[in-house]
Amino acid sequence: MKYDVVVVGSGPAGSMTARFAAESGANVLIIERRQEVGVPVLCGEGISKGVDEFKVLEGKRWLANNMDGARIISPDGTMVKLAADMAGDETGYVLYRDIFDQELARGAIRAGAELMLNTCAVNILKENGKIKGVKAKQFGEEFDIEADIVVGADGVESKIGRWAGMKTTLKPYDLETCAQYTLSNVEFDRAYCDFYLGKKIAPGGYAWIFPKGKDIANVGVGILASLSEPGMSLKLLDKFINSRPELKKGEPLRFLAGAVPVAEPIESVRDNLLLVGDAARQVDPITGGGLMASIEAGKTAGETIGKAIDEQRFDKEMLLPYEEKLKNTLYKKLKRNYVVKEIILGMEDKTLNMLADSLKDYKFDELSTLSLVKALVLKHPSLLIKLKPLLKLSRL
Amino acid sequence: MGKPKALVDKGKCLACGGCISVCPQDAIAMCSSKAIVSKENCIDCGICIQTCPVGAIGNEVH
Repeated sequence: MKYDVVVVGSGPAGSMTARFAAESGANVLIIERRQEVGVPVLCGEGISKGVDEFKVLEGKRWLANNMDGARIISPDGTMVKLAADMAGDETGYVLYRDIFDQELARGAIRAGAELMLNTCAVNILKENGKIKGVKAKQFGEEFDIEADIVVGADGVESKIGRWAGMKTTLKPYDLETCAQYTLSNVEFDRAYCDFYLGKKIAPGGYAWIFPKGKDIANVGVGILASLSEPGMSLKLLDKFINSRPELKKGEPLRFLAGAVPVAEPIESVRDNLLLVGDAARQVDPITGGGLMASIEAGKTAGETIGKAIDEQRFDKEMLLPYEEKLKNTLYKKLKRNYVVKEIILGMEDKTLNMLADSLKDYKFDELSTLSLVKALVLKHPSLLIKLKPLLKLSRL
Repeated sequence: MGKPKALVDKGKCLACGGCISVCPQDAIAMCSSKAIVSKENCIDCGICIQTCPVGAIGNEVH
C-alpha cells in the first residue's frame, strides 16, 4: 500500500489537510480508528462564523444554532455581553459536530482522498531512520502503509508526533479536562453562548451553556488538569446543573468527556512528517477553541504538501513553509492568548468580578485599547495595576 | 512488589484521550475506544488519575 500522503485522523484538521493536498494533485489516504467519522462527538460544538470564509462546507445540515454573541458571567453573576464578531472563536454558530466532520471529510473525498475506517496507527514506519509511512492495524491485523509524507492529525493524544521524537507530552497546566451533557428540556436564552467563570465553578477553566436549539443545549465544565482531582470535571458539572433550576429539570441526550490542549503551538514539521490541529496544539489557549485553527492550519498544511509532492521533495525544509506561514498569522494570536491565559489564571475571583462590573455596560462595538482601559479604570482604579501585564501585551 | 499501577475502568472511560496526552511515559494507548495502561511503562506518577474528567482511572490496588 503506497500513497503520497497518509493522514492519521479524520477530524477537521485531517480532512482539511487531505482535501487541500488532494486538490493540489497528491494521492492521499486518511485513516480513522473509529467506525464513523465525527462519532463520538468530543466537543462543545461552538465555532466562529469566520468558518464561512473558507467555503469548505456545503449546505447547512451541520448548523444547529445561529448565535447573536456570547455572555461572560463573572463569579458574582455579573454579565458581560459580547457580539459574535468580538467573542472569539467559539461563538457564532453551534454545530452538529458529527455532521460537520463528515461534511469536511466528504470534501476531502470529493477532492480525491481515500478514507479507511476502523484503522488505527500503531507506530511510524521507518527505514534507515527515515520516516516511510505508518504501521496500522485493522480488525486485529497489522500492516504497513507507505507514504512520502505522514500527517499527524491525531488530536490531543498526538502519538504520531511522539513516535517521531517530538515533544508532544502536555503538562497538566496546559490541558483542560472537560465533561459535558447535551441537555434537553432546559430553558435559556438561545441567542447567546454563556461562559461562567469562578474558582468554585471551574478552577482554571469555565462552565458553558451552548444552545443547540429551542430547549436543548450543550452544558459543560472544563478545568485545568493541574487543578483537578480524579473525576472533578464531572462532579463540578453536576453541581453546576443542580444549582440552576432551569437546567436541573433537563434530561441528558448525550454525555461526553473531553481533553483540550491549552498550550503554545509546538514544533510541527520534520522530514516526511507534519502535525496539524490539536496534535500540533493549534488551539486558542483562552477559550479552548480549536476548530478555526485546525481549519486554517489544515488548509495551509495541505497546500504546502501539494507543492512538496509537485517537486517530489519531502524534507523538513520543503515542509517548513507551512509552519512559517502560521507563525506570521495564527501563531501570533495563539501565543499572545497563551500569555493572556496565564494572566487570567493568576486573577482572583474578586478581580474577575471587578473586571465584569467595569465592562458590563461597555459598548464593545467601539473597542479600542484606550477606550477599554478608560472604562475599566474609571470604575475600579485598582484594576490598573492588575491589568498592567495585559496592557504591555497590547503594545506588542 | 512494585508500585501500584494506574488502571482504567473500561465502563467509565469515554475515550477523551486526556490521560494519553499528559502521560510522561507514553504508557497509555487507546484501544477499541478505551484507554489502556501498559503496566510495563507505568511509573505510578498519578497524573492520569488526577486528569481524568470522569474518574475512570484509579490505582490497581483500589
